[in-house]
Amino acid sequence: MLEIRHLTKVYDDGTVALKDVSFTVEDGEFLIIIGLSGSGKSTLLRCINRLVDPTEGDVIWNGVNLTELEGEELRKARREMGMIFQHFNLVKRSSVFKNVIAGRLGFMPTWRSLLGRFNDADRKKALTALHRLGIADQAQKRADELSGGQQQRVGIARALMQDPKMILADEPVASLDPVLAHNILEYLEMLNQEDNLTIVCSLHYLDLVQRYSTRVLGLRDGEIVYEGSREDIRAMADEEFKDIYGEEAQRITGSVSGDLEEFEIGGLA
Amino acid sequence: MNTNSLQHTPSKKRSPSLVPPYLAAILSALIPGLGQALARAMRRGIILLSSFVTILGLMAWRIRLAARRDTEVFAIIKKAYHLQPVLVVLSVMVLILYLWIIYDAYIIAKDAERTPVLLFFMLIAVFFMLGWQIGEIDPIAFVTKADDAAPALARVLWPWEKAISYPEEHLLATVDIQVPCTEEDPPPPAPEKIEGEPYFWATPTCGDLKTQDGIPGTILTIRGENFAPDTKVNILWEDPIGNEFRQRQEGEYVTTIPDAKGEFEVEIEMPYRLLPPHADADFYIWDLKAKQLATVGQAEPSMELKLAVEKIVETIFIGMMATFFGILLALPLSFFAARNLMSASPITIAIYYLVRGVLNIVRSIEPLIWAIIAVIVVGLGPFAGILALTVHSIAALAKLYSESIESIDPGPIEAIQATGANWLQTVMYAVIPQIIPPFVSFTIYRWDINIRMSTIIGFVGGGGIGFLLAQWIRLLDYDSAGIAVWFIAVTVAILDYVSAEIRERFV
Repeated sequence: MLEIRHLTKVYDDGTVALKDVSFTVEDGEFLIIIGLSGSGKSTLLRCINRLVDPTEGDVIWNGVNLTELEGEELRKARREMGMIFQHFNLVKRSSVFKNVIAGRLGFMPTWRSLLGRFNDADRKKALTALHRLGIADQAQKRADELSGGQQQRVGIARALMQDPKMILADEPVASLDPVLAHNILEYLEMLNQEDNLTIVCSLHYLDLVQRYSTRVLGLRDGEIVYEGSREDIRAMADEEFKDIYGEEAQRITGSVSGDLEEFEIGGLA
Repeated sequence: MNTNSLQHTPSKKRSPSLVPPYLAAILSALIPGLGQALARAMRRGIILLSSFVTILGLMAWRIRLAARRDTEVFAIIKKAYHLQPVLVVLSVMVLILYLWIIYDAYIIAKDAERTPVLLFFMLIAVFFMLGWQIGEIDPIAFVTKADDAAPALARVLWPWEKAISYPEEHLLATVDIQVPCTEEDPPPPAPEKIEGEPYFWATPTCGDLKTQDGIPGTILTIRGENFAPDTKVNILWEDPIGNEFRQRQEGEYVTTIPDAKGEFEVEIEMPYRLLPPHADADFYIWDLKAKQLATVGQAEPSMELKLAVEKIVETIFIGMMATFFGILLALPLSFFAARNLMSASPITIAIYYLVRGVLNIVRSIEPLIWAIIAVIVVGLGPFAGILALTVHSIAALAKLYSESIESIDPGPIEAIQATGANWLQTVMYAVIPQIIPPFVSFTIYRWDINIRMSTIIGFVGGGGIGFLLAQWIRLLDYDSAGIAVWFIAVTVAILDYVSAEIRERFV
């Protein structure tokens, strides 16, 4: 269980990214965080695994306060949370296999990893992960030779290498086209349902939210302005929508079928 | 928004001229550009005035230079025009320009809208002609001097005759000649024959030297045996005090070429030679010599070829060592010169600017200049070349390295950190894979440059093949210079190819 308590983040330049954010994520949830660019979604996700140090507040992960951890303990906690990114964050010039197996670094003695000596179990694990995501045949290609959707699957495979209990996904489909977006979220859904991983994912597209989430948080200017289930989103009133996306935002359609033709974008005027 | 403001377009119309057109023309005739300036085209006036003054100054200098010895103005101009017809063309162009400026002043004072494109083309044309004259450009020299240059160039282009040589041997045989013949002393006997050695004798073995008054000397018939066939033999004398000089007849040195059996026969007239004042003995013994420089044995690489090979190897290693040292020192420096790493605090930013500044200064000084400095410090030789190239490489590589550090993608670093990797692992898996390809690429590129530079650096004493090349060119030994040029060209071409190939594989 993940518990966020009164989390606040003020950057060095004075930008207030998060203001007293509190919420709880139960194990096995698929939580989607929606909000405009700059609403603090990325900062929130990065505060959870401490890629960004919060200014105030606590992140409690299975009873351990992550904000107090340092060094080895922090790295051990990070191992339990796989992270995937909007721009995939692969090492473009390295092979797919090397990118994936790098997910194992937190489990290795430093000297072994410096020599690049991954053991057979890790290699097998990497191949299994690649198989599971359907890109085993791409293993020896350079990461930047793959398409966007394939690169994101490499990112997921890398996260899986950590045997995580939770996946943090920072707008994982924002650089992909709608078909691939569904594809990637289906993989996350599979992990959520088959492996019972907790998913915390930030998104732009409302129809994806309705399709995949078990719960939704709306973030605006660093504050939680909305909380509800996927059914609530379907029934979301215009006022609530404007709470999240601002006064000038307009909903394009109320359809939730998920068909491409009626694909819905939280469009802004 | 005020709708009226939309109708407002900034007026390009200049204010009306301060002076009437004819007055502007007269003013520009007195001081070119003054008319334009008073016609409210201040910038045009200043440009025209400064250009015109510059042109006149340069003209005066070139005319004075063309007729250096004359003192009187008219004579100077006359002689300069005579020697350098280009100056006549230039003078006409300057005159046209002057008149044009006057006309332009009139036009601009009358109609302020004109853009003087053609006038500025005229200005540029005048400067072009000045450049032609100052640069002493002389295309005709290409043609007229080609005949003189062709043999030398041909030797540079195909120098390979010089690349092989044969072992050589000096063959020498001597016969004693008594000067003069006397009654009481018998002339020296013919020398003894030694098997396998060249043999040389004369008849008679005594005689009189040619005198100053023109009384001819005794004619000697000289014969040689056992010399190398078909190779020139020089005939020399050695007088009693040990001076050696070559036999001359009718102004030419006497040489002969032995036949296929190695035998020859020539007649020579005994030369004129002053005897020392104290020469009061009855006679003196002079040595008559036949000397031959014969080739023996198999062809072998010439000394020049061997030297060129040695020096090209030295050259490659100068470039290599400079690259090594360059990498070693540029690597740590590059981190200090990378903005993204040094923006943490004012102190690190200060270090960043300091390092960047020093690197820029060092890089802006050519390796040749560094080589001259290095030669002063450590003396002539390859070490000076290595030092010079190292200094320049450090600056160049550190800049390129730091730029590739600045351009790394922070995404993978974040991603690797998120897996629970520690600092070292993050550097190893997220930073190094990103910077290695550009580092390798820049390094090989630099190696390539260094080897090309090291061929040049020898010209100022930095060792390597450039040293030889400069020396051979100064000795007018174009064959050897050609060998060096060939070696440089082939080495650079190969390295160019190899480095391009490696860089393509890596990046």
